[in-house]
Amino acid sequence: MTAKSRVLVVDDEVAILRFLKPALEANGYEMSSTATVADAVKRIAAEAPDIVLLDLGLADGDGKDVIRRVREWSDVPVIVLSAREREAEKIESLDLGADDYVNKPFNVGELMARMRTALRHRMQRNAETPVLRVGGLEIDAVRHRAIRSGVELKLTPKEFELLSFLAKNAGRVLTHRQILAAVWGVAHTADTQYLRVYIGQLRQKIEDRADDPQIILTEPGVGYRISES
Amino acid sequence: MAESDGLRASPDALLSLANKESRGRLKIFLGAAPGVGKTYAMLTAARSEIVGGRDVVAGLVETHGRRETGQLLDGFEVLPRKPIIYRNQVMHEFDLDAARARKPNLLLVDEYAHTNVPGSRHPKRWQDIDELLRAGIDVWTTLNIQHLESLNDVVQKISKVRVRETVPDKVFDQADEVVLVDLPPDELLKRLAEGKVYVQDTAARAVENFFKPQNLTALRELAMRRAAERVDASLIERMQAQAIEGPWAAGERILACIGPDPMSPAVVRAAKRLADLMDAPWIAVTVERPGASLGPAARRRVDDAMKLAESLGAETQILSSVDLPAELLRYAKFENVTQVVVGRSRGGFLNELFRRSLPHELVRRTQDIAIHLIAGGADGPTPPKWLPQERISLRPLQFIYATLTVAAALGVSEVLTKLTPIPNLSMVFMVSVLVSAINFGVWPAVYASVLSFFAYNFFFIPPLYDFTIAEPYELLALVIFLVVAIVASAMAGRVRDQVKVSASRVRAMRRLYEFTRRLSGIATRDGIAEGAAGEIHASLTRPVVVLLGQDDDLALVAAWPPEDTLDPAAMTAARWAFNHAEPAGADTGTLPIIPWYFVPLRIGDKTLGVIGVAKDQSAPPFDSESRALLDTLSEQAAAALERATLASEMIRARTATETERVRNTLLASISHDFRTPLSSILGAATSLLSYGDKIDAVAKTDLLTQIKQESEGLDAMVRNLLAITRIDAGALELRRDWIDLREIVERVVSAARRRGASQRIVVNMPSDLPLVRADAALAEQAIGNIVANALVHTPPDTHLMIDAHVSSLGVAVRVTDNGPGIPSDMLVHVFDRFVKGRDTRELRDGGQGVGLGLAIAKGIMDAHGGSITVESPVDGQPGARFVMLFPREDTSA
Repeated sequence: MTAKSRVLVVDDEVAILRFLKPALEANGYEMSSTATVADAVKRIAAEAPDIVLLDLGLADGDGKDVIRRVREWSDVPVIVLSAREREAEKIESLDLGADDYVNKPFNVGELMARMRTALRHRMQRNAETPVLRVGGLEIDAVRHRAIRSGVELKLTPKEFELLSFLAKNAGRVLTHRQILAAVWGVAHTADTQYLRVYIGQLRQKIEDRADDPQIILTEPGVGYRISES
Repeated sequence: MAESDGLRASPDALLSLANKESRGRLKIFLGAAPGVGKTYAMLTAARSEIVGGRDVVAGLVETHGRRETGQLLDGFEVLPRKPIIYRNQVMHEFDLDAARARKPNLLLVDEYAHTNVPGSRHPKRWQDIDELLRAGIDVWTTLNIQHLESLNDVVQKISKVRVRETVPDKVFDQADEVVLVDLPPDELLKRLAEGKVYVQDTAARAVENFFKPQNLTALRELAMRRAAERVDASLIERMQAQAIEGPWAAGERILACIGPDPMSPAVVRAAKRLADLMDAPWIAVTVERPGASLGPAARRRVDDAMKLAESLGAETQILSSVDLPAELLRYAKFENVTQVVVGRSRGGFLNELFRRSLPHELVRRTQDIAIHLIAGGADGPTPPKWLPQERISLRPLQFIYATLTVAAALGVSEVLTKLTPIPNLSMVFMVSVLVSAINFGVWPAVYASVLSFFAYNFFFIPPLYDFTIAEPYELLALVIFLVVAIVASAMAGRVRDQVKVSASRVRAMRRLYEFTRRLSGIATRDGIAEGAAGEIHASLTRPVVVLLGQDDDLALVAAWPPEDTLDPAAMTAARWAFNHAEPAGADTGTLPIIPWYFVPLRIGDKTLGVIGVAKDQSAPPFDSESRALLDTLSEQAAAALERATLASEMIRARTATETERVRNTLLASISHDFRTPLSSILGAATSLLSYGDKIDAVAKTDLLTQIKQESEGLDAMVRNLLAITRIDAGALELRRDWIDLREIVERVVSAARRRGASQRIVVNMPSDLPLVRADAALAEQAIGNIVANALVHTPPDTHLMIDAHVSSLGVAVRVTDNGPGIPSDMLVHVFDRFVKGRDTRELRDGGQGVGLGLAIAKGIMDAHGGSITVESPVDGQPGARFVMLFPREDTSA
């Protein structure tokens, strides 16, 4: 990391900014902050930060509006800072295109890890490599093959499609709805039981232990994500 | 009556069958005369039920010392009788409560028509049995045909014995089974001769009259016919229930006309018999002459006849009109009556002559209604009818006026004769008679007639100044005077009556309207009960109580004149009325010795309570007008009560929702306000833990400071939450001590500065500030909350002034800021809980975030007996000022 990554923190609580600043700076980020929706959108457009930390409850409106408006022209990683009990809001933000979320109150170390993942994921997406490598898997999108430790996995077309969609978005939390829409089509966005069955089958084939998954991780009540490492 | 119309579809029949199923079943052993063996037959039948394994108890069986009967009773469980003391004698009566407590499957109770000793719950045994049936107990009983109400006068005619103990036909008709116990007259007479028939000593005189073969034959026929009618009726009921086409009644309807004459009971019974024969519904009506008030005896006769009709199953109706026949016919047409039963009293020769009697009028005016005339009995005088009855007590003043009128006529006549000779001076006197008749009523008019006649005769008929009547035609003047007096006063009286009636109707309507309007304005049950009690008392001028149902029991809610207890006996009657939704107490069949008349407050099939009206036994029963009024008022009260109940239920539901909403808001805001400092603490701590080596010393200190401050904030918040809980529970304990408010303010200000208040805080406390007695910790919390609130709501470049003001009331601490102030619509709510300002900044005192800070400050000040007020703007300048008054306390205290 040669140049310092720039972080825009959108939060109207001074106390949060107060401890985030030294922590972010210690991790080599350059932090700027704003407290309103309107200003956040403007700043993202003008400053083009590398990553955005977004609180949903802002003084002049809903933080989700920031995602909605920014996603029209930018794929800057957005990490949502949200209270644990507001599940529906989190899912909505993810559906709108947020990359990840962190529950308040949060551990700063965890936040830094999520930020790193999101940044790396963005670079990977930009690379557009035909072969994806995640969690010891090698996924060849062109030949429709998945290889684990040199052995080709026997996957049905749907399983492969599901795995490659997750892998393409490695590190990012994908909601049930997003996965269903991408793999099964928008008509099936409510059929989460399909997803559960296929994820189960997929885990049997790719995980060392299906009951303790390391590659496809469950985000309870929200969706799934493929870990990057 | 439409409900029992023969053309009615079957639901009613099904309903009545269904009612019978939940009730106990009644079986009557019917006999023509004493001694035919009813009790014997009942016991024999009951024995076989016992053999069949049924739980049979003999509630009360009269063996009259007969051996065969006594033997039959062996093996029965016999209920002990209840001793009741009446007029210093111990009477042994049937024990209704014991029977209900024992609750056998089948209970035998002899003598259906028996009259209970005064003081029992019901005056009649058939009412006891009705209660048993309602309790689901099957009852068998015995009855002689002469005790049946509608046959009462028929039997009297046959046997010349008046039977006082009667059973309403209604309850007889409701019996599920009637067993005719028959014995040919010859055998009965033989048994009588053998002494096997029990005859009460008192009736001994009548025995020889009663037990004559022709009497017995007639009674036997009556009994058989009655039993046969019953078979018919129950057959029809079953056919209807099963939707079988049958011999429906031809739509006959019978109208019994009841008046104050002694004929009325006979008319009622005749109508009932007719109705039974035709299987037709029947209506008993009485027509009241508006404004006319009957004498107490006549009033009682009408009421008794109406009650009799009701007990015989008639629908009753009170009509009101001046023209009796016209009103009757109008009503008859309206109700499609086909048969009218009227009494024809003897006497009234003139009426007969001029065909002016009611039956004549009815016959004259109608074509399609059959008129049944019941010939008058000999008993009781009939009031003369040809003269309009004077209903207003004679007032001497009216006679004086009449005299003056005649004197005036005399004067006028004298003047006229002086001026010119007039042949017919009697006309002038006629005017005086007319004036008296119109203004003063019939008797003053008659008096004026006689007076005029004499004056005329004395002063103007030769020989003058002499009463001698020279020619018989002179008497003609008197006759004409009298006729004019009577006719004119009758007509004028009628008009007066009508005016009076319409006026009283208007009054009644207005009263009812007022009552309804007043009740509609009252929202509470108690208020409505009070209003109803007062209104009914005003209308009936008798003490009134209102009892309302509360948790399955009745509670006295209102009374007029005020009263807070009701004696237990009256309470029993009230409960009975409440539970059975029927009137009880005085004038009713249930507990009539209670000096209260209780009517249920019903709406739909719900009974909300009862209204009781005091009624001494000596007082005359309520006339129909009062009862109708009471019914209307109680209906209105019930409707108002129902409305109030619904309204309060709605409010309760709304309050519950509101409480739930407040609780949710509180939870959400508390969790949010806890989470923010927790986020800071966790964030700062984890930053230090993970990246402590990469953070410079200044930043490190800042993070640690943040942890400390947020922890203090949390602590303040927890303290405030605890305080509000304690204020709510009333458990705020004050540890009062003499404290110096200057110290407290200093501590508050330095704490605020420590927390980073950027506003300029000016403290201006007088150095000679008196000490106040207060709880130091709580006072600090209150002032601290006010200061924190001010700091949160003002921009950084403003300033805050804290000063104190000493007055006779105490020491007032004033916190004044020059910030934006508080909007006027918020001003009244600032001390409410969970009310937050709109521009809350991040510098917060613990409680403030939840919207509790000011509420707690107010709670604390209230607990100290002090006060807290707010004004904004201050002296015309923007800003807000909170004033906390610590009350002055005697140093000696």
